[in-house]
Amino acid sequence: MSASLPRSRAGRISLYVAALVIAVYSAFPIYWMVVSSLRAPQALINSTSLVPGPFTLEYYRNLLELTDYPAQFANSLLVALVTVAVTMVFSVMIAYAVTRHRIRGKGLIVGAMLYAYMFPPLLIAIPLFSIFAKLGLGDTLTSVIVSHLTLTLPLGVWFLWGFFKSMPFELEEAAMVDGCTRLGAFLRVVLPLSLPGLITVAIFSFLLSWTDYTYALIMIGSDANKTVPVGLASMVGSFDLRWGEIMAGSTLIALPLFGAFALLSQYFIQGLGAGAVKG
Amino acid sequence: MSSKATIYSFLFMGLAVTALLIVAPVAYAVSLSFYQMDSFVGAPRFVGLDNYARMLSQWVFWRALINGFIYSLGTIVFQVVLGIGFALVLNQVFPGRNIVRGLSILPYLLPTVVVVLTFKWMVDGSIGVLTKVIAALGLPPVQWFESPGAAMASVILVSVWMWTPFVTTTFLAALQTVPSSLYEAAKVDGTNAVQRFFHITLPMLKPILTVIVLLRAVWMFNKFDVIWLLTQGGPVGATEHLAILSYKQAFGQFDIGGGAAVATISFAILSVAVFIYFRLFPLDTE
Repeated sequence: MSASLPRSRAGRISLYVAALVIAVYSAFPIYWMVVSSLRAPQALINSTSLVPGPFTLEYYRNLLELTDYPAQFANSLLVALVTVAVTMVFSVMIAYAVTRHRIRGKGLIVGAMLYAYMFPPLLIAIPLFSIFAKLGLGDTLTSVIVSHLTLTLPLGVWFLWGFFKSMPFELEEAAMVDGCTRLGAFLRVVLPLSLPGLITVAIFSFLLSWTDYTYALIMIGSDANKTVPVGLASMVGSFDLRWGEIMAGSTLIALPLFGAFALLSQYFIQGLGAGAVKG
Repeated sequence: MSSKATIYSFLFMGLAVTALLIVAPVAYAVSLSFYQMDSFVGAPRFVGLDNYARMLSQWVFWRALINGFIYSLGTIVFQVVLGIGFALVLNQVFPGRNIVRGLSILPYLLPTVVVVLTFKWMVDGSIGVLTKVIAALGLPPVQWFESPGAAMASVILVSVWMWTPFVTTTFLAALQTVPSSLYEAAKVDGTNAVQRFFHITLPMLKPILTVIVLLRAVWMFNKFDVIWLLTQGGPVGATEHLAILSYKQAFGQFDIGGGAAVATISFAILSVAVFIYFRLFPLDTE
């Protein structure tokens, strides 16, 4: 149901006020972050004006030229892209097998995935750190990717399981009657039809990996291997708080997410509605 | 490849990945809680339940447990109340509705680090915008992180801001499933909006609300990053909950067995919530 516009004047005004409050509450900190990252030093300290400016790109220049930020941004991107790719391949296979076969193990897989979705982060981080230390893979991006997979695979399997379940068997059967193998039917019929589901899983896997702080904090020790969230947080530890640079760094992490949201908002909302994201 | 072979190889892959990435780490974490280790590469020594006895006998553990409950409860109550309120407003028709709906989701997309840094910048002791606004209003300066109560309130405030959109979006989607004929009939009977909310909307959406509260409860109970970034559990342990205690034991004091024991205990507590979840919403695997 969608309620109609309130008839009374007072009702309408209070509705507009409520909507405005929600908008300001949700967006003001983000607006302030972006404005601060672009505001010249004197104004950054003194101004409480909502109007942006005077402008400067100084903080962005410092961040990109004088810090590890660019390298850390590349680390984050690499980690997120590999995580997404691996998640897609395995979650598609697992979810497909689980929906298309009647055996006892499948309840176990789906249950384990949903369960894993709720694990305390330290329950995974402590053993993984120990394993990677013993393998000589401590402080590597690989260890971060594997730890992210423990978040994204459950998400992918859980979401695609729901998606494949609602897809009629007859589709593949028809293709197989026409001479396709099971694998062929899967690749040519099921996958293309699942595109919206696959996009949603890719987006949310990217989001989980890109925004992760906890696992990267634990797995990575050296500045060179840090991902952006951990690198940026360690900038605050220093005695000289450079808020301009910190807000510039924050804006740059958030930007890809807002861009993706603007382009693909229906997938975001679909995923959120299905409880696809942890957090 | 035959049809059976394809499915079986997929299934085998699934089981292998599940075992490797989920079952093995958890089993290993639980087993570590029975050993004493002073470093992650050192030789483990079996100590039975010593780690548990040691952790459970410290008041630090009980404080962390209580803090965890206060934090989860506080964040859930505000998220759910605000989220439902926002959803009810965003469900009305008004110009610019889609823009406000989009804006209301944004906090959820931000990395925790960005939210925490922006909050710290806004409340910076001398030059933060909130600090200045509070001063301009003639109010006494707010010490966001100085006292135990204030630190907990700040941590809850930031968490609620970040995760309310989950409730807003899910509840808004659920509102669309309530048949409008119910509201029409109630209107004819002369009910007001508040009565309709409590007698139609809430009862109809009770199942989805239960899911939301359970999921949020589990996730908030597990939150590590937001608290660590805001307070590192301080001041004097006022915001230290089980996840932070576990982290400090394992990675601060290199008491890996103790850290694993705390993680295992949180796991056990959370398993109760998951058990309730599966009871209420059994998996439909057919």
